[in-house]
Amino acid sequence: MILQAHNIAKAYGEFRALNGVTLEIAAGEFVSVIGPNGAGKSTLINVLTGFLTPTAGRVYFKGQDITGLAPGRLARLGMARSFQFVTIFPGLTVLEVLQVAVLSRLRRGGRLLASLARDREVTAQATEVAELFMLSEKLGMVARQLPQGDKKLLDVASAFALHPEVMLLDEPTSGVSTREKHTLMAILVAAAKRSGIRAILQVEHDMDIVFGYSDRIIALHQGRILADATPQTLQENDDVMRLVVGQQGRPPGFGRST
Amino acid sequence: MLTHAINILLSGIFHAAILFLVAAGLQLVFGVQRIFNLACGSFYALGAYTGVSAVNAFIRLGLPHELFLLALIGAGVCLALIGPLIEWLLRFVYERDEALQLLFTFALVLMFEDIIRLIWGPSPLSTGSLYLIYGQVTALGVTVPVYNLIVIAAGLVIALLMGAMLARTRFGRIIRATAENREMSAAMGVNLRAVYVKVFTLGTMLGTLGGALVIPATATMSEMGIELIVEAFAVVVIGGLGSMRGALVGALVVGILRAVAISTYPELEMVLMYLIVIGVLVLRPQGLFGEPAV
Amino acid sequence: MKVWIPLGSVLLLVLALPQLGWPYYTILMLSFFAYATALLGLNLLFGYTGLLSFGHALFLGLGAYTTAWLTSVWGIRSMEVMLLTAMVVAVLVAAPIGALCVRYVTIYFGMLTLAFGMLFYSFLLKFYHLTGGDEGMRVLRPVLLGCDLSGMPKLSFLIGPYYYYAVAVLALATGVMWRLVTSPFGLWLKAIRENPVKAAALGVSVRRYRWYAFLISAAYAAVGGALLGPTIGQVDPGLTYWTQSGHLVFMTLLGGFGYFLGPLLGALVFIYLQDALMTMFPYWRLVFGAMLAVLVLLAPEGLLGLLTGRLGRKTVRVAVS
Repeated sequence: MILQAHNIAKAYGEFRALNGVTLEIAAGEFVSVIGPNGAGKSTLINVLTGFLTPTAGRVYFKGQDITGLAPGRLARLGMARSFQFVTIFPGLTVLEVLQVAVLSRLRRGGRLLASLARDREVTAQATEVAELFMLSEKLGMVARQLPQGDKKLLDVASAFALHPEVMLLDEPTSGVSTREKHTLMAILVAAAKRSGIRAILQVEHDMDIVFGYSDRIIALHQGRILADATPQTLQENDDVMRLVVGQQGRPPGFGRST
Repeated sequence: MLTHAINILLSGIFHAAILFLVAAGLQLVFGVQRIFNLACGSFYALGAYTGVSAVNAFIRLGLPHELFLLALIGAGVCLALIGPLIEWLLRFVYERDEALQLLFTFALVLMFEDIIRLIWGPSPLSTGSLYLIYGQVTALGVTVPVYNLIVIAAGLVIALLMGAMLARTRFGRIIRATAENREMSAAMGVNLRAVYVKVFTLGTMLGTLGGALVIPATATMSEMGIELIVEAFAVVVIGGLGSMRGALVGALVVGILRAVAISTYPELEMVLMYLIVIGVLVLRPQGLFGEPAV
Repeated sequence: MKVWIPLGSVLLLVLALPQLGWPYYTILMLSFFAYATALLGLNLLFGYTGLLSFGHALFLGLGAYTTAWLTSVWGIRSMEVMLLTAMVVAVLVAAPIGALCVRYVTIYFGMLTLAFGMLFYSFLLKFYHLTGGDEGMRVLRPVLLGCDLSGMPKLSFLIGPYYYYAVAVLALATGVMWRLVTSPFGLWLKAIRENPVKAAALGVSVRRYRWYAFLISAAYAAVGGALLGPTIGQVDPGLTYWTQSGHLVFMTLLGGFGYFLGPLLGALVFIYLQDALMTMFPYWRLVFGAMLAVLVLLAPEGLLGLLTGRLGRKTVRVAVS
């Protein structure tokens, strides 16, 4: 078990965003979290990645209790995340964005008087990640000038550049055109294999993507886990399909895409 | 001993009344428009200088001296006319980075400094002992000019009026709604532009009134606006950014503290105030009544 | 590199100035060297890390008072000792202040730094038996690199050896700052400025690096203040008043805080313009206020922004909460 959450609760006054969520991710798994809006998916990601402290429950990473640790700490421990809404460094170039992450991994952020431009290792590794994510042509572009899809890609790419053991993706294909969604996912999965990521947890709305790539699907509803099963098992669960998938307007019984 | 304490208290409350007026203006503008208007001190100074001119003109016109207060209030209120003008300028920085907004109001501070110097010159001006025309009151061994009591009363009345306005009138509700959620208010049909102008003008008037009212008891000084801003700043930090109640309580704290410090350890006067400001910012950044801060 | 031609000619002019027979403007350059050094530090904090300090004059004053204290109270005249001491004192003072302030952003950071600046001001003003109060303290002629030049007339000293010493200090300071901003450390500061949330998610210790930037900026300001001390001869609390901090920020904006050399240009223009205005027209604040207002509205990228053709870009982001 690489990532575990035990009985996570997050309350805002009377409102319970998460109410007793327990889940486990094993090495090698690609798990999707689905649910209608307000089910608590983003809250869950935020708790797992240290952006929110749960009101109850604990989170474990590789057996270590990481509940309440700051995101920076978690990133250094091997957990990385992408964001639902475009979260980039608007004024930095693509290369620089990736360099930030590489410096973090190589623990070279503290080098005060060394020239970054002359650090070939950092630049090489940043360029490598850019290649994985088809951003090589755009290394010199300033992030705010990138098209929306590329911004998202950059967000994910920079998280990848940390060579984390676990990647948490918050709606990686939202805001991306349908045509590009599968390209993005293909890139993601290929890159994950190449960089030795051991597990991926994603929040997704697009059921094609979810059913197409996941080893396991966790359905959240009103802060609770409704179901936690393989795609096939889930398809047979009428309640879940109606409550969660049905609300997306997708008919049940669609097949697996590649 | 008691008389000494009461003297300090009265002096402190008098200063607090003026501070409250300026701080209230600052809070209103911050609450609604999210701009920390450094120029509020300049409005105060402007009110003071204009007040002196107004009173002197009043006297020269041969009008009854007892009514000089009207000239002051008139000056303070009329100066509010610069409010819409300044607000129009501020419009250009509403959507900008907070740092740039702060710098813009700082630019206004610089300009007002010299505008005042240009019109009135660098020497201190005052209305002399005119304020004693209302006589003095002696009680509990303490003598205090009636004028000071009038100002304290005025401060209180205005505080109550502001409170009532915010709580009961439609305009007050609009102010509170806009302060809480700008977008939603706009979506509900509030004319933000009009609200901004009115709020800013009101805030300006409070500042100019404060300056006008204080002047009979003191004298104008160059840089009085710049010096006041740091006290007003202490008031809103202690009371909490954006809170009217905070302006009142904060003003009392700063006013009385200042009076106490001046008479006991003058060296500590300002040092103590800033230590408290820092303490508040660290322990409870939202002040006593403000919204929770980052 | 294209930039070396104009830069080189400016450098030549700067080095030649004392020989050109304009002692008044040469002395003015001494103020420029001091403020330029301080501004390099301020811009590390403001332009590169995105933190707007309204209390930077505190550290400038600290540096200036260090020179006064060392020369007139302890009789230490070595300029090198003064520079070093100013840096050490600044870092020691900045450590706790910075640790506190970097927990907050934008307006609260500005307010806290303003409060600390005024705290120092009131300390300087009120504790007159220590600091000379309103009148301040004298700064005696320093000894440069071991050479005691007290025989020289004051003017010759200032526009001669001291001038070139100050140029050297500024050059060194600029070189070090360039290395800092082009290093991994510099990139992380920019990342923090652009998006602290994302930076944290990528493993950057946001608070700690802001603190480092604060310490370095304080040291630079103190060095600037130490250079200023012997120039003005008498240091007073007015150096640390909040409006002085405002002027420092103004200078940075004027030159262009998005550019490495921006603050230097801003300091140069500010100092000479202020001098020219003060002699011609007593209401220089009015002009400067109007300038600042126009800058904020129309050219927040400053003079260097105008010169490189980016007039009126509205996407200027200074600090992200």
